[in-house]
Amino acid sequence: MNLLRRQFLMSTAIAAAVLAAPLGAGAATPKDQLVIGQNLSAMRGLDPNELNQLEAAEVVANLYERLVVLPADNITTPTPGVAESWTVSPDGKTFTFKIRAGIKFHSGNPLTAKDVEWSLRRLVTLGLAPSVDLRQWGLKEDNVATLIKATDDQTLVLQTPEVWNQNLVLFSLASFSTSILDSVLLAKHVKNDDMGREFLQSNDAGSGPYSLRTWRSNDLLIADAFKGYWQGEPKMRRVILRHLPESAGQRLQLEAGDIDVATRLSSTDLNALDQGGKVTIQKTPGFGFYYIALNQKDEILSKPKVREAFRYLIDYDGLSSTVMKYYGVKQQTIIPPGLPGAVDENPYKLDIEKAKQLLAEAGYPNGFSKVYYATPVTPEYEVAQSLQANAAKAGIKLDLQAGDHIGKFRSREFEIFSARSGERLPDPHAILQSYATNANNADEAKLTGLNAWRTAWDVPKEIQTMVVAAAHETDQAKRTKLYTDINKAYLASSPALVTSFMRTDAKAVRNEVKGYTGHSTWLTRWDTVSKGE
Amino acid sequence: MTAIDKGQADVSISQTHNSRSSAGASWLGGLRKLATSFAVILTTLLGLLVITFVIGRMVPADPVIAVIGDQADQATYDRVFQQMGLDKPLYQQFATYIGNIGQLDFGQSNVTKNAVSSDLARVFPATLELATLATLIGAAFGIPLGIVSAVRKGTWVDHLARFVGLLGHSTPIFWLGTIVILIFYAKFGLIPGSGRLDVYNEGLVEGPTNSLLIDAVIAGEWGVFFDVLHHVLAPALILGYAAMAYLSRMSRSFMLEQLRQEYILTAKAKGLDQHTIIWRHAFRNIRVQLLTIVALAYCGLLDGTVLIETVFSWPGLGQYLTSALFFADMNAVLGSVLLIGLISIAINLLSDIVYRFLDPRTR
Repeated sequence: MNLLRRQFLMSTAIAAAVLAAPLGAGAATPKDQLVIGQNLSAMRGLDPNELNQLEAAEVVANLYERLVVLPADNITTPTPGVAESWTVSPDGKTFTFKIRAGIKFHSGNPLTAKDVEWSLRRLVTLGLAPSVDLRQWGLKEDNVATLIKATDDQTLVLQTPEVWNQNLVLFSLASFSTSILDSVLLAKHVKNDDMGREFLQSNDAGSGPYSLRTWRSNDLLIADAFKGYWQGEPKMRRVILRHLPESAGQRLQLEAGDIDVATRLSSTDLNALDQGGKVTIQKTPGFGFYYIALNQKDEILSKPKVREAFRYLIDYDGLSSTVMKYYGVKQQTIIPPGLPGAVDENPYKLDIEKAKQLLAEAGYPNGFSKVYYATPVTPEYEVAQSLQANAAKAGIKLDLQAGDHIGKFRSREFEIFSARSGERLPDPHAILQSYATNANNADEAKLTGLNAWRTAWDVPKEIQTMVVAAAHETDQAKRTKLYTDINKAYLASSPALVTSFMRTDAKAVRNEVKGYTGHSTWLTRWDTVSKGE
Repeated sequence: MTAIDKGQADVSISQTHNSRSSAGASWLGGLRKLATSFAVILTTLLGLLVITFVIGRMVPADPVIAVIGDQADQATYDRVFQQMGLDKPLYQQFATYIGNIGQLDFGQSNVTKNAVSSDLARVFPATLELATLATLIGAAFGIPLGIVSAVRKGTWVDHLARFVGLLGHSTPIFWLGTIVILIFYAKFGLIPGSGRLDVYNEGLVEGPTNSLLIDAVIAGEWGVFFDVLHHVLAPALILGYAAMAYLSRMSRSFMLEQLRQEYILTAKAKGLDQHTIIWRHAFRNIRVQLLTIVALAYCGLLDGTVLIETVFSWPGLGQYLTSALFFADMNAVLGSVLLIGLISIAINLLSDIVYRFLDPRTR
């Protein structure tokens, strides 16, 4: 018996010794390295012409460069990037870019207009998700050879078949998708005519301030400062993205100083960090909304008074101060603040009686029942639950079904659906295209990229005409006027797409980190970051 | 369990008798047996793949939207749909997949964009490391604890062991993980917060096995070795605790059953000391049963560590499989399921072989 006990005690002692042995780690991050906690599970390959996702876009924004730069603090002003200057022809269809001399890729190859030509053509030719950035201006695989041309090593000419407001084209040329790739390097890595796709998934061919060192999905990404960067070597010698899927884990590591930036936090954790004083919470506005889509193929939901009633069932103020505190800003109009045509008008508030009255006027004094699809993620689901509760008070029984229903939304097989949208162009057109144009409301038209078509909402023709006109309008003052009119007309039209909050993306940044500024179109830069006390 | 074991033992014994009659027949019989078990394994794996494939296709998540995002237009959708081979009929997709597996090509993951085989070669060793350590910890503590509590049944030792076991069995593992992180990482800074090793040790060891512990030893990087050990300890102890709870309860009941047998009484009557009775007599008779439950626990840990992997940001198989499921990444899901199936079969085969050494009746 004694022997038994002795054995047991001994194994316990060994375990304790092992546990105690390797102590002494857990210091703060080094002064010259930036560590960002992120959920990397959705991060796919790093091909700028293929990816379609915020985390990967931020990486690509720093590995590569683009012709035009939209500064984080002045996002609607195109400033020179790889292009040191540009001119637009009087007819508004030809853009001529002068490429900056002396820029080198990480490989050591010089960056020329030929690389720009190859990269932009590749985006259109591959035709993957982000290709819409150029395709929407009329560029297709069969016309890129004539419309995108390097006339010499320092000059790139881009033409659009139609006239568009020049900002729209310039904004697109600042998007991550129009990053400039090292065509000479990629020529060596072509497999089966893939234009280097396989290579680019986990390698970089850029000229940006950082070069890719290690990337392991669901684990870690390390980028090193590029010594030959033309704007000078960045202060942070290394940037590390750590996969931390749990909000609580990110918060603890941020508090302990093991990471400098946390990016996917729950509102509880954001609140606690906000109180803690060690970090600053950044709310970066995103060009998108939390919206409720009411299917217009449904007899009841297509009644304007019913649509209007839903506007009175959202607890704008209650949500603003609770679940939406960090995720959104109350907004009932369709153009985000800071963009041309924005108006500061929020006429609706939670008013059950008013909603009841509208329902009665529409012929449903006793309400009705509908199936309501929502995604079970914070804060979307909390917003959905709040709407469900308020609707019940007005007699509308919503059968809330949580799940991934985006496929059903795209194929119009739903009654009520709510989600969150986000656009990458800092221009009203990007949002209005989706929310307020629907050129053909027939099922066969399959305009599945547009929220208005998905909702089967035949947007009032005058709004649609104005949206198209504004995109082509070259006079800025006229354009602003048009957008103001659209904004007001949209609000007055009892839209089938009810917007309640403008989306904001919250990040928590430790106070000693300076210059990490969330970018509304996913292009947050690392080379502006420094660390002080 | 015991009845089945005995049944198997009977079959083997009768086969042993047959084999004595002629050497040639034994050779043929052995071959036939091998072929049969091989066919069984293949059928099992195929069945596993069919079920996974069908369920994977029934899941509402759309793999195309997972790749292109929800805002893409129909033209892009159609292009990618075709590129991913989803336009072909289901049976044809499955046939292509099986054909590729025949050539050991597990396809490309839609999420990570790597070959699934290279992804698995990276994530599986991480889980293997964790599960192996946890099983070792669970067995090293659980079995002695179970035996002590059986031998000293009804005393405070037994009560304590029951309390500890019950606690380990009923505490949600992710909760325990979070609490451990909260106390030992956030409060006292005794353990690292996440991952397999510290960032500054990253890339120092890139070894043949992808198991950082083994690779670090091979490379002689002791600093890295201790760092990895430091990282793996908390998750392994938590998983090990859960395993220990199960193993100790089972060993206790196995042991009690033996201690009630008459041969124990005989041994006591002969005047043998307690140590000999417990270890030379009773313990030898529960080894096969113990092996079975340890193997089962090991299997469970290899494919069921996803919660702990998420809490500790451990880049293992569980996390890989879960995120693949979320993004309807079928190649990755099928590859992972196949691997788990293979591992379960391998562990079962291995424990079958070890039975033969431990139990003379099965030889």
